[in-house]
Amino acid sequence: MAAEKRPPVDFDVVSDFLRGALPFSEMEEDGLRKLSRRCLIDFFPAGTRIFIRGVTEVDGLYLIQKGGVKLFMEGPGAQDSREGCSAVMDYRSEGAGFGALSLFRGERAALDVETVEDAFFIKIPREAFFQAVADCPAIARYYLKSFSDAFVSKAFAEMRCRTPEIPSESGLTLFSEKVGDLVARPPESAPFGTTIQAAARIMVRQRIGSLLIREPSGAYCGIVTDKDLRTAVALGVSMEAPVETIMSAPLETIGAEAVSFDALYAMMRRKLRHLAVTENGAVTGVVTAHDVMAMQGRSPMALFRDIAARQDIEGLYPLHARVPRMIRSLVQEGARAGNITRMIAVVSDMILTRLLELMIKEIGPPPVKFTWLLMGSEGRREQTFATDQDNALVYQDCEEDFLERAAETYFAAFTERAAAHLVKCGFPLCPGEIMARNPKWRGTVSTWKRLFDSWIDAPEPKQVMHSNIFFDFRSGFGQEDFAGALRNHVTARCLGNDFFLRHMAADCLASRPPLTFFKNIVVEKNGERKNTLDLKARGLMPFTDFARVFALRCGVRETGTLARLDALRKGEHIPDGLGRDAMEAFEFLLQLRLVSQLERVERGETPDNRIDPARLSPLEKRTLRDSFELIGSMQTLLKETFRLNIA
Amino acid sequence: MPHLARRPAFLGALSRLLGLGGPVRGQCPPSLLDNNALCRDIDQGKPLEAYDYVVFDAEMTGLSPRRDEIVSLGAVRVKNLQILPYERFEALVKPSIPLPRLSTIIHRITPQAIREAPPLAEVLPDFFAFCRGSLLVGHHVGLDMAFLTRACRALYGETPVNPCLDTMRLAMLWRERLFESHYDRYNLSVSYNLADLAREHGLPVFPSHNAMADAMQTAYLFLFLVKKLRKSGIGALKELYLSGRSWRWYG
Repeated sequence: MAAEKRPPVDFDVVSDFLRGALPFSEMEEDGLRKLSRRCLIDFFPAGTRIFIRGVTEVDGLYLIQKGGVKLFMEGPGAQDSREGCSAVMDYRSEGAGFGALSLFRGERAALDVETVEDAFFIKIPREAFFQAVADCPAIARYYLKSFSDAFVSKAFAEMRCRTPEIPSESGLTLFSEKVGDLVARPPESAPFGTTIQAAARIMVRQRIGSLLIREPSGAYCGIVTDKDLRTAVALGVSMEAPVETIMSAPLETIGAEAVSFDALYAMMRRKLRHLAVTENGAVTGVVTAHDVMAMQGRSPMALFRDIAARQDIEGLYPLHARVPRMIRSLVQEGARAGNITRMIAVVSDMILTRLLELMIKEIGPPPVKFTWLLMGSEGRREQTFATDQDNALVYQDCEEDFLERAAETYFAAFTERAAAHLVKCGFPLCPGEIMARNPKWRGTVSTWKRLFDSWIDAPEPKQVMHSNIFFDFRSGFGQEDFAGALRNHVTARCLGNDFFLRHMAADCLASRPPLTFFKNIVVEKNGERKNTLDLKARGLMPFTDFARVFALRCGVRETGTLARLDALRKGEHIPDGLGRDAMEAFEFLLQLRLVSQLERVERGETPDNRIDPARLSPLEKRTLRDSFELIGSMQTLLKETFRLNIA
Repeated sequence: MPHLARRPAFLGALSRLLGLGGPVRGQCPPSLLDNNALCRDIDQGKPLEAYDYVVFDAEMTGLSPRRDEIVSLGAVRVKNLQILPYERFEALVKPSIPLPRLSTIIHRITPQAIREAPPLAEVLPDFFAFCRGSLLVGHHVGLDMAFLTRACRALYGETPVNPCLDTMRLAMLWRERLFESHYDRYNLSVSYNLADLAREHGLPVFPSHNAMADAMQTAYLFLFLVKKLRKSGIGALKELYLSGRSWRWYG
């Protein structure tokens, strides 16, 4: 009877939503339906504070069905100037959620959350959420990946036990690597009664940062570290005093079979940097926080340290190949594309710097000071993988003629070698020969200024093209002030120079947004690249070009597109809303390109800029379309500003 | 209008006395009596989130309460101003008159679909058991209530006395708060159609003319309007009623 009166539920808002929302889309149909039965639907008008950091008891996971929120941290005493003191951490929109971290930690809200527009939420109550986590390991894994290690706490250790296998490429070697495997050498020790000076001497000779201290019975009873020696010196302890007077005791130990996360956790909790590793009761070595971090190998820090430590040029060659791994772990930790590309830029800069330093060491210092300029995507700090070399060289104005000739000879040889080394480091040659080894792109400060002037005064298509590449220059190595001087010159010449900029702007309008009349995404119709879209040319370039034209017009000195847009928005040169939207859209496109290239690299293919829109999720597709629509708005603004619709 | 029409109890008695409401009159189901008893005790002074609401929608064979009948009912519960999407009531009803073709085109309920469905007399007791003293919310709730009231009077001689809130009136109230000039009130292009309101206010949009989907859509709209109005200072049921007082009563 009742069954007749209540037909089966075919209209199901919550299950439909969960089926499209990570990580619940991974669930089995039954589990998903069971979970959705326990959900609530809630609404908060724009500007409602949902979580107050450290105050709100989080009673469930909120998933955004419609609308958007911002996650931020309000500074202390920020009641009066709310905008000033709060740092926005993230914006989240439909399909995303918040509150999971606090649920796992069982603590109060970790961040402030406020709706930025009217927003509907599907709320998964706490118990229902944990039930789902217990039922479906994929959910646990998803959240495990999305929190950075810093947040890892006890709840995770428990979850780790319940989650059977974590794929080894997940970046969390912290949970798989055994402490015993980190021990590189047997421990060094000294007996009771050794003087402080003698102990220090052992440490210097063995190049170690810590020394175990033996009791007369032979058991280890304490440890002396660099820090203990430092304290001893600061306190004026006699160098002849026995070492046990300054040692840290008792010796903190950890079993060799523990995973390295446990070691890190123990160190953090006890505020230590060294732990003795024991196997079957015997001390087999010492691990430091440094060892644990270095073991990860994927952290940017480890890569930075390796680059700086290289003493020969050949040693630099393989390092760039480690960038994909670093990017993978950054992507998994939820870093945004703008930050990742900046990180890649730092790595490339460090390799370049170390390379040029070593070359100067090898062939002798240059006759005059110089600056190595980076241009194009490197100049904007937006390179991803396999970016071509786009560089140039500027050197000091020479008063003596012979000095100039000497400089030219030196730099010709220098740049030729540098280009060859860079190729071996993983930066292919520029097909357009926009490289410092081309004599056209080497010159003194005043040569460059004259060259730039000639472009600005006679903006023919070729000059405009060069301006598009060169005016994103920044210093890569050497004396900053040459790049700075050139930047001052360009900024001054372009500020409000609508004659020149109008040509640049007209160039931006050449490429239409890749959308059909019905707002479908335009793809190649045939050929090898059928059904794909060139994300760089059709998607990213319009944004960088737009940002460049306005930056030059308004005297913004930044070279990065995001930084330019932000400066333009803050300076009220472009509408605030458009600026914000453009920044988000650009970062989304950048992320899309980065992830698609990363996938190609990991499959062993050459990364390119093409994507297949059909393979994107509906949400991604929609965001992509919205981003492309923004290109139209930017072009309209360009037309209005430079009166291009009249011509 | 956020109207709290309480149909005077004497009307039911009067109609019984006069022998109105059709020849077949059954025993009044205990769920309706229980519901009415609870409704008479509702205190109007509490804040909005303290009440339980049932958001409902009915599909009919036509628009005239006198001639037409209910063919489906959908309802969902709102508690603590949150939708409980699975506390829902959903039923197809077999009307005593043949289903007009035009209505099938609108709500897509075919004669075949309702052939096996129970008559309204069997559905209503369950429906009132589901409502059980809640405030009823609907879009243009007066029409749905007119159908329900008429049916109950005919079947049981007793009518539901649940206070009602109309999301259409709430939408007008909210729009009035947004007026920028005096003449905005004469703007004839505004629509109070449920789907149009959902689109206008940026709510998730569901397929219309299915009683359950419309009830859910109305629930979203209700949540939106009540929380918006609450933010602008209307926190208690009584205030909501008072701020809409300038409108005429009906229901």
